[in-house]
Amino acid sequence: MRVVVTGMGVVSPIGIGVDQFWSAAVNGVSGIKRITSFDASSRRSQIAGEVADFDPSTFLSQKYIEQTDRFTQLALLAARLALEDAGGLDAYESRRIGVSIGSGMGGFSTFESSALRKFRSQPVPPFTVPRTMANSAAAWIAIRHGFKGMNLTSSTACSSGANAIGAALDLLRAGRADVVVAGGAEACVLPLTINGFEILHALTTTSNDNPAGASRPFAKGRDGFVMGEGAGILILEKEEQARHRGAKIYAELAGYGQACDATHIVMPDMEGQIAAMQEAIRDAGMEPDFIEHINAHATSTPLGDTVETRAIKNLFGARATDIAISATKSMVGHSIGASAAIGSIATIMALHTGIIHPTINLDEADPECDLDYTPNVAQKRSVRTGLCNAFGFGGNNASILFTTLA
Amino acid sequence: MKEELDMDTAEIEAKVIQFIATKVENLDASTINRSSKFEELGLDSMDTIQLLFDAEDAFGINFDSEEAKGFSTVGDIVSYIETHQPSAAPQ
Repeated sequence: MRVVVTGMGVVSPIGIGVDQFWSAAVNGVSGIKRITSFDASSRRSQIAGEVADFDPSTFLSQKYIEQTDRFTQLALLAARLALEDAGGLDAYESRRIGVSIGSGMGGFSTFESSALRKFRSQPVPPFTVPRTMANSAAAWIAIRHGFKGMNLTSSTACSSGANAIGAALDLLRAGRADVVVAGGAEACVLPLTINGFEILHALTTTSNDNPAGASRPFAKGRDGFVMGEGAGILILEKEEQARHRGAKIYAELAGYGQACDATHIVMPDMEGQIAAMQEAIRDAGMEPDFIEHINAHATSTPLGDTVETRAIKNLFGARATDIAISATKSMVGHSIGASAAIGSIATIMALHTGIIHPTINLDEADPECDLDYTPNVAQKRSVRTGLCNAFGFGGNNASILFTTLA
Repeated sequence: MKEELDMDTAEIEAKVIQFIATKVENLDASTINRSSKFEELGLDSMDTIQLLFDAEDAFGINFDSEEAKGFSTVGDIVSYIETHQPSAAPQ
């Protein structure tokens, strides 16, 4: 049984909808700007990838805006776009339609604002808990569309979106659903999260005056990631049923691998990354030699990009230099639990269009990062297989493998 | 001076009705009056809790939770606000 992608929806700092997003990505447009959602002028990190044009009132009533956190609103819009792209799911019984969403922080914006009110002895908003809980995005997608099947949430920090898509593959293979709305959403461009990552020295603090040049995966002198936000949603179906209902098919979701470092809560580990990629390839019934494209995790931290490069070189050996690698985060920043869902859409579009989007801000690579990262300019490469990597805090490594159907 | 900040009954009523109208899809605010029952308007228990929260914020009051449990009409809320506005409390 093959599982295929029949719809995609994306809400990102470089565009809402796949067409806008992909056109910006191919052209190397940066979505990183100075933070507008709060006054960040006294912060060490004052920039982020925000979804500037996002207005929930264009698709949600005041009542639902009140009841939902921003991460849920981003997810709802991405899901709506993906469902439209898939031509709707009327062909399916509602109990057979699953939802699998990843989010690292859930409704952290609600948590932060409600906590602030509590400290000021102001009444706490009644929807504090239902807006904050990590599964609220998955729940609201179900409520808005009447999807009554399995409803799961993966919260594994930066790899949440990849695990949510992987879990959807497992659900379809196990026969627990006929179609799954899967992806990730995150909205944590917030004072507390920015501060929390700053204190870990994870964010870049040297590019406040040059936001577009701030996120520079694999580049010499990179010094941290840029916070991002957004959502990416895929519609995943069994191939036979998708063909039966006449759906357009973008790609096959062929494999999923996950491995835990079991070493350190925040430091990356090469062995875990290799194991996750290896397992995704094995799960698809393939060999490492088959891999032609990698959408790297590549957050632009000094250690992370080097370790990922080493993991790729270890697993693919001499062939590593032939693989077209690309870092979506160079343009959109790091949207934590949404990042791998957005990266998956970039991977699928690479397979679908034969274009690898560039890794921008890569004029001079770190000598330890010596692979083909598609620097600065998009490349025409007709690739048939693409891995999307996602490595999260908690030593949580996930890799998902998309292929063309040919 | 403080009294001048207080709203009169009509203003309170209008504000409460405005909050209610955002809680229910396609509810026409002009059909809501003091004797309208929450249940008839289509407000569920969470909507009512959110409504009281909106009112607390807007009018600077705190609803006594035991007393608020007994509210069933728009008028119940409006009357409570009228008698509990900051200036109405003993100095």
